Amino acid sequence: MKQYVNDIYQKIDVLNPLHGKKLKKNIGTFDDKYYEASDAFFEKYFDFLKKENKTLDYAVDCYLNMISDVSIETVEFVRTGKYTSSTFEEVNKRVYAKPETMEYYMHGLIMSQFLWKHHYEMYDYFVNELPAYKDRIKSYLEVGAGHGLTLSKALEILNPGTLFSVVDISETSIALAKNFVNDNRVSYNLRNVFEFKNEEKYDFITMGEVLEHVEDPLMLLKKLNEMLNDDGHVFFTTPTNAPAIDHISLFNNVDEIRDLVKAAGFEVVSERSLLSEDVSPQRAEKFKIAILYGAFLKKAGK
Amino acid sequence: MNKSEILKEVNEIFVDVLEADGLVLTESTAAGDVENWDSLSHIQLVVSIEKHFKIRFTSKEIQGWKNIGELVDSIESKLTTA
Repeated sequence: MKQYVNDIYQKIDVLNPLHGKKLKKNIGTFDDKYYEASDAFFEKYFDFLKKENKTLDYAVDCYLNMISDVSIETVEFVRTGKYTSSTFEEVNKRVYAKPETMEYYMHGLIMSQFLWKHHYEMYDYFVNELPAYKDRIKSYLEVGAGHGLTLSKALEILNPGTLFSVVDISETSIALAKNFVNDNRVSYNLRNVFEFKNEEKYDFITMGEVLEHVEDPLMLLKKLNEMLNDDGHVFFTTPTNAPAIDHISLFNNVDEIRDLVKAAGFEVVSERSLLSEDVSPQRAEKFKIAILYGAFLKKAGK
Repeated sequence: MNKSEILKEVNEIFVDVLEADGLVLTESTAAGDVENWDSLSHIQLVVSIEKHFKIRFTSKEIQGWKNIGELVDSIESKLTTA
């Protein structure tokens, strides 16, 4: 195994020792399966960077830019108990409509997928559970594909004849996902999901870390319910207490998310709640540490 | 409040937030010297220090201190201009 991730940790440690120290705590907990998955991912990602004439140093800079944003937002969150933005219009101006911000943000996020333990564990959960749904999926939609990592795994796992679609509000995000995924089976729709209309319903909808970006998360979950076949399933994730430059809906705890799921007409098939930091539950509650919640859902009563 | 008084109070905040009884800070102490001082606890330290001294740091300051001496300087300059 190459263990590329260790070289990346070293680079981060030199540039931002405080953050490097936090990441180092993760290393001890990773097993061979993690290193195999992260090596496979980073090989693909390095190829992608090369095609874009970019280097790993560029990606590390992007990641640290994102970390810097998160630190500033977190300090403000601890001071006020609120996210700094509350409307879509604000974050659209601040982030989505700014290609230079989106660019480093997307590279930062894609790096975090394997640098952050909870991101990796959620990805691992999705990759392990999705095969059980495989034979029931003829059409697959991802809402907010971001950098395209989840989509690329779905393309690998699901049957070759599956129809794949993406709806995403950001042009930068779609361009990045297209290049990263590099598979012409996917139809991309640059659109706000609330304006997205499709005559056919979907057998499976994935929506990773989108709910916290919208003003009305319940309306978005209801929209997913409308777009889903009666016997279809949803996989979605969203964090509690996770300040970021484009997060507007704050969930204070996992129960608030579960209540929304129920109100939108879904039932939880299985779920995971992953703490974002290696701290005791008491300390996590005291300091409002983010929990990443993820669940497979079906329509209630189906 | 002079620097050594500020340092003493900062030390108490570090002990409390990091749950590190017996921790002794000096001006040259850096994050590498204190086991639990990482990016997560840094944020908790920043906000606790702000509350204690009734000051507000800028984003640049929060990310710029190389050691305790620089942190104490930041606090001192804010207390002087307050």
